[in-house]
Amino acid sequence: MSSKRGTHEQLVGGMLYDGIPSLVAAAHELKSPLALVRQLSLLLEAGDITPDEQARMLRQISLTSERALRLTSDLTRATRLDDAMFALEPINPQQLCIDIAHELAPLFAAHGRRLSVVSRKHPLLLVANRDLLRRIITNFSDNALHYAEADSAVEIQIRALQKGEIIRLGVRDYGPALSSDMWRSLKSKLATAPQTVHARPQSSGLGLYIASQFADAMKGTIGVTRHRDGATFYVDLHASRQLPLL
Amino acid sequence: MSKKTVLIVDDDAWLAELYARVLQKAGYITHVSPHAIDAMSAIDDVHPDVIILDVLLTGNTAFTLLHELQSYGDTGAIPVILCTNLAADISLDDVKPYGVKRILDKSVMVPEDTVAAVRSVLL
Repeated sequence: MSSKRGTHEQLVGGMLYDGIPSLVAAAHELKSPLALVRQLSLLLEAGDITPDEQARMLRQISLTSERALRLTSDLTRATRLDDAMFALEPINPQQLCIDIAHELAPLFAAHGRRLSVVSRKHPLLLVANRDLLRRIITNFSDNALHYAEADSAVEIQIRALQKGEIIRLGVRDYGPALSSDMWRSLKSKLATAPQTVHARPQSSGLGLYIASQFADAMKGTIGVTRHRDGATFYVDLHASRQLPLL
Repeated sequence: MSKKTVLIVDDDAWLAELYARVLQKAGYITHVSPHAIDAMSAIDDVHPDVIILDVLLTGNTAFTLLHELQSYGDTGAIPVILCTNLAADISLDDVKPYGVKRILDKSVMVPEDTVAAVRSVLL
């Protein structure tokens, strides 16, 4: 029994929980989509599939490739954070989130899931870099897509905290609850950021690490809230004092 | 001879669908579970003859499921095929006590390898 437990800890604990973001983590994250694209391509090559199946598989290949490309693009952006200037500006997050939901709609639909924005009657403004914030929310949404139960909705929520000083953008999924052990590990890593923030065991945490770097560049922070039926990954940013025009 | 049932446990829905397609074509009945908790229910419901299992799953990892399987006489006897991107880091000797009979490397395998692996563990 002890040998079995040892193998488990060595494999999961050593490789993926205690490492730092690196080429290994990037390689791990890219391996899954590449393996899927390769196997779909092999099946297409083999033939003997209906035109409908062929169309569906080609769609899966293009959507999977886009996900992998987003990661490589984020990775490149993250490595250039130190020597780049990022303009911070007042942003209406609701419109940005609606744009992201629209952009990701085909990917979610192909997985039998929905991405929606919980609308606010009174729009809030926050201070952020539009590109970095878009990447963070897209990253959280992508993460939620993977963990949300089939046919469930993923929600992007916007709320004001600390008497309106902080704006929280959260991506809520409805999936398996994080176990207590995983939760403690995640909270501990969040408390000692910046470092790798692991979402769930399937992930090396690279995507969330990049998101934390982007948030940090905008003087913001990322975090996670556990629910009985899923989780909310969020980014907190400073509210803009500029009055909304609408 | 009755058809054999294969339980595919993988949280990549499209990859699981691909394995299911190939296995069904080869004459197997398939059932897909996206995570370990669902897999435990499925094992009670469909009584699989073989389990194809990804290692890093949503929620609990494959090893939690393997521990659970080994806790009972009947489920402990179900042959398991690990199908993972971490194949290079796992020794079959290390995981044999979990009931694992084969390890497939997702990054180099071809879809039909699932059929060959299932056939070999059912011999």
